[in-house]
Amino acid sequence: MSCYDQKVAPRREDRLKTCIAHSGGVCGMGGKAKACMIDDGERGFTQGSICLLLVALAILDSLPETVVLIHGAVGCGSCAHSQNANARSGSAVRFGQAKDAIWLSTALNEVDVISGAEGKLRSAILEADRRYRPKSMAVVSGCVPGLIGDDIDSVILELQPQVSARLVPVHCEGFKTKIWATAYDAVYHGIGKNLLAERNPAVERTPVSAEDERARVLEQEKLKRTVNLMNVSSMGRVDEVELERLLQALGLEANLFPVFAHPDSFHKATRAALSVSTCPTHDDYFLKQLQEQFGVPYLIKGMPIGIRNTSLWLKDIAAHFGLGVEVERLIEAEEREVRAALAPFRTLFEGKKVYLSAGEFRALVTAQLMEELGFEVSGIRMFHHDAFANDEYDKLAETARQDYTINVANCQPFEEANLLKKVKPDLFLGHVNGNGTAAKLGIPTHTIYNTGLAYIGYRGAFEVARRLHRTLRNPAFNRNLSPWAQLPYKDAWYGADPFSYLNTRKDAQ
Amino acid sequence: MSAHFIERPRYTCSLGGAAFAVNALPGGIPILHAPAGCAGSFAWAQNGGSGLQVGGNCGPLAIPSSNLQETEVVFGGDARLHQQVENTLKVVEGGLYVVLTSCVTEIVGDDILSVVRDFQSRGVSILGAHTGGFKGSAYQGYDIVLQAIFKDFVTSGRPRRRGKVNVWGIAPSLDPFWRGNLLGVRGLLESLGLEVNAFFTLEDTLEGIRSAGEAELNVVVSDVYGIEAAVRFEELHGTPFLATGLPIGPSACSAFLQAVAGRLGLDGPVLDAALRQGNRTYYKTLEALTDCYQDMDLQRYAVVVGDANYAGALTRFLAEDLGWLPELTVCTNLLNEEERGRIETRLGEVRNVEPNLVFETDGTEVIGHLNRRWPNAQGHRYHDAFSPAFVLGSSFERELAQALGAPHLSISFPVANRAILDRGYAGFRNGLTLVEDLLSAIVAGR
Repeated sequence: MSCYDQKVAPRREDRLKTCIAHSGGVCGMGGKAKACMIDDGERGFTQGSICLLLVALAILDSLPETVVLIHGAVGCGSCAHSQNANARSGSAVRFGQAKDAIWLSTALNEVDVISGAEGKLRSAILEADRRYRPKSMAVVSGCVPGLIGDDIDSVILELQPQVSARLVPVHCEGFKTKIWATAYDAVYHGIGKNLLAERNPAVERTPVSAEDERARVLEQEKLKRTVNLMNVSSMGRVDEVELERLLQALGLEANLFPVFAHPDSFHKATRAALSVSTCPTHDDYFLKQLQEQFGVPYLIKGMPIGIRNTSLWLKDIAAHFGLGVEVERLIEAEEREVRAALAPFRTLFEGKKVYLSAGEFRALVTAQLMEELGFEVSGIRMFHHDAFANDEYDKLAETARQDYTINVANCQPFEEANLLKKVKPDLFLGHVNGNGTAAKLGIPTHTIYNTGLAYIGYRGAFEVARRLHRTLRNPAFNRNLSPWAQLPYKDAWYGADPFSYLNTRKDAQ
Repeated sequence: MSAHFIERPRYTCSLGGAAFAVNALPGGIPILHAPAGCAGSFAWAQNGGSGLQVGGNCGPLAIPSSNLQETEVVFGGDARLHQQVENTLKVVEGGLYVVLTSCVTEIVGDDILSVVRDFQSRGVSILGAHTGGFKGSAYQGYDIVLQAIFKDFVTSGRPRRRGKVNVWGIAPSLDPFWRGNLLGVRGLLESLGLEVNAFFTLEDTLEGIRSAGEAELNVVVSDVYGIEAAVRFEELHGTPFLATGLPIGPSACSAFLQAVAGRLGLDGPVLDAALRQGNRTYYKTLEALTDCYQDMDLQRYAVVVGDANYAGALTRFLAEDLGWLPELTVCTNLLNEEERGRIETRLGEVRNVEPNLVFETDGTEVIGHLNRRWPNAQGHRYHDAFSPAFVLGSSFERELAQALGAPHLSISFPVANRAILDRGYAGFRNGLTLVEDLLSAIVAGR
C-alpha cells in the first residue's frame, strides 16, 4: 500500500529513522546503509525550535490564488508574518507585483477545545471560499485538532462538492513528529492527493487544422525536454534563474514546482520527462509518487551548491537525456570561467576557519563550497540526520585536514555557543534565526539561506564569495556588539562538555 | 468580520505574548512547556511583525522549551518539565524564570504549578502561568504574565510610598514601538516628579518590580491590555489604577498628565510646569514646519487601522493635534462587549472630528467599511472624494493604501517594512517623531 493511501504522511522518524540529537566526527558519519544507522540521543535540556507547521506554511503561503486556513489556536501560523515577506518579494520578482499571502486562523478557543471544532472549520471553509474565491484552499491542522480529535479529512470530503476551491488537507500536528522535515511529506501528501488532476481538461479531439496538429506535436516535443525542478522554498528566484540557465544550455526546460506555482498548473508536473531534486532532504516522498503514478522518473542526488556539486548535479541530468558530450562542454566552460573569477578571493580566504549550521544537506554541500573557496571547515551542525547525505560526509571526510565535530541538533544554540567558544572560527554560516549566537560572540557571520540571495550553481558560488569577502572586510557590527550583548548562558556552561545533555531525556521521571 | 476565522491575525497566541513579556523583563527567562514549534512561531512573528526586532533575553530560538512529543501527550509531561527546569537552571542565566504552558499541556492537564512549587521551595526565583494558546490572544498572554508577577513575585504588605507609580499597558513586541513608547510614558510621569517602575525598560530592575506594591497608583496606558492585571493588583496589594489611552500627541499627553496629577493630588505648579514644558517643546519645534505644511497642503483625510491602543490614540492625535480628518477608525482586536465599550467611549471623547469606529479583524474588509461611509464617485464628474488621503495601519494596509492611491505608515503590528529600535510615539517629543514620519511618507518622492 502506498503512503498516499493513508490520511496522513508517515513521520520521518518512522519512515527514514531520522534523528535530531547526536555528535560525532565527520569521518565516521557516512554509513552506507539505506536508512539512518544512528539512534537518537535526545536531550534532557532543550530549547524551542520550529515544527512542521512552520515549514509547511512557507511553501503553502507562496501559492498564487490560494488561501491557507489554519485550524488551530491563533498562534499557530503567526510564523506567516515572516513568510509573508517572502511571498511578497517572490511574487514581485516572478509576477511583477508584491502580493500579501492570505492566511486565516480558526483561532480555537476554550469552548472549541471542550466541544470540538469541526463545525467551526466547516463554516470557515464555506465562508473563506465565498469571500476569497481561491483556486485552492490548504486546510492545515495544528496541535489542538490532533488532541481534541477533529477529523479535518472528513470535513473536507464532505464540503468539497459545495465549494469552488480545491481543498487540500495538510496535517501539521507539531507534537506528533520531532522531525520538521516531515512537513515536506505532509505538503506533498496533500498536493499529491488533491491537486495533480487537471482542472477542466481539454477534451481530446482530432486536430482540425494543420496548426493544431503542429502545436500538439510541439507541445509533446517540449514535454520530452521538460524537467520538474523541485523547489520547496529553499531557493529564491535568483537561484531558479541560474538553474534554468544551465538546463537551457543543455536544451532542457524547467518546470518549477511547487513554490509560486499556480495550483491549477500542478498537473504539468505529471507530464514532465524527469523530476530533479535540488535538495534530497525535501523531495523523495513526492518524486516516488510521480514515478509510481505517472511514470515520471527522478533524480535525487546531490545539491547544486558549489562548483563540483553543481557539475555533478548537471552530469546526472545530462546522462538521463544522453547529453554526455554537451554537458562536458558546458561544465568545462562554466568551471573555467568561475574558477578564474574566484581566484582573487581564494587567496583572501585561504586558511580561515569556517563553521556551518543549517539543514543537513545544505550545510554539507555549503561546507564543500567553502573548501572550494579556500576556507578550512572546522565544524558543522545540522538540524537532523538521515541517510540521504551519506555521500556528502564521505566527500568531506576525504578533504578534511583533521576530523572535526558534527553536531546533529534541531537548533539548540546552547550547544553551538559552547562549541564556538572552543573552536573560535573566523567565520560562521548559519540558517535564518541561527546566526545570532555567533554574531553576539563577535564572529563574522553570513546567512546560509535567504531567498533574496544567490547561493546555487556557478553564479551562486561567485556571489557567496563576494558576500563573504565584504562580510570579512568589515565585521565591525558583530565585533562592536559582542562585548555588550550577552548570550543567556551561565559561565559554567562554557566549561562543560557541549554534549552533556545528549541521551539524557530518557532520564525524566 | 467572520464568526469562524480571523484573517491574518495581527498577534500571536497567549503563550507568545507571555513569552515576549517574560523575555523583555530584566533577567526574565521564559521556560515553555510546549511542543518545539511554538518558540519558532513566536520568533517568526517578531521577525515579520515587530519592526525587525527578534528575541529578547533569550535569543529567538534559545528559549528553554520542553519540546513535548507524543509520549508526554499520552503519559503526561510533568516529569519532563521537572527535568527541563532542573537543567535550565544549570545552563541558562536568569533572574526570574517563568514556566509558561501551551495548548498541549493545558489539554493534557499537566500540573505545572506543583513543579514550580518544588523549585520555589528550593529558593529558586521561578513562577508559573497558564498561558495555553487557545486561552486567547498574545495581549491576554501579556496580561496573564503580569498577573502572575503581581501574585507571586511582587512583595505584599510593603508600605505605600508617596510619588511612586507603576505603569504598563504596552505589550513588548506586540507593539513594535514598545521600547520607545514606554520611555515616552516614563518621561511623562517623571516630568511630574514621580518615581516610575515600567517593568520592561532598561531603567527597570527585578528589585524595582519586587517592590512594585509600594506604588500609590498604577497607570495603565491602555483600555484593554493589562486591565485585568490592574484589577488583580488592586485586590492583592491595594493599589488603585488609572486607565488612560496611549498618550500620543500634545492633547493626549496633557490630558494624561492632568489625569495622573488629579489622581495623585499633585500640586498645581508641578502639573503646570510639566504641561508648559511639554507643550512648549512640541509646538516651538513644530513651528518650523509652518510654511511647508500650509504651502504644500499637507492636511489629509485618514483611515486608521490599529490595535486597541493605537486605533484610538492615533485617531485622537490626527483629529486634535495635527488637524487631519480621520474618517474611519478600525480596531483590529477581537474584544468582548465591555472592552469594545471602553474603546467606543474613548473615541467618543475625540474633539474636532467625529470618528467612525468599526471593529474588524480582517484587513481585506476595511475598504468595504470605507466605501460604505464614503461612497465612490459613481460616474459623477464633481465628487467630494476621499482624497488626499493617508493610511495609518499595519504593513497589511499597504494594499489598502495602494487602492486609495494614498501614502501609508506602518505603526500597529505587523510592521514588516520598518526597522524599529527605540523609536516611540507616546510623549510630547515622540509626537514630533510621528509628525516627521507621517509627513515624510507624503513627501518621500519630492
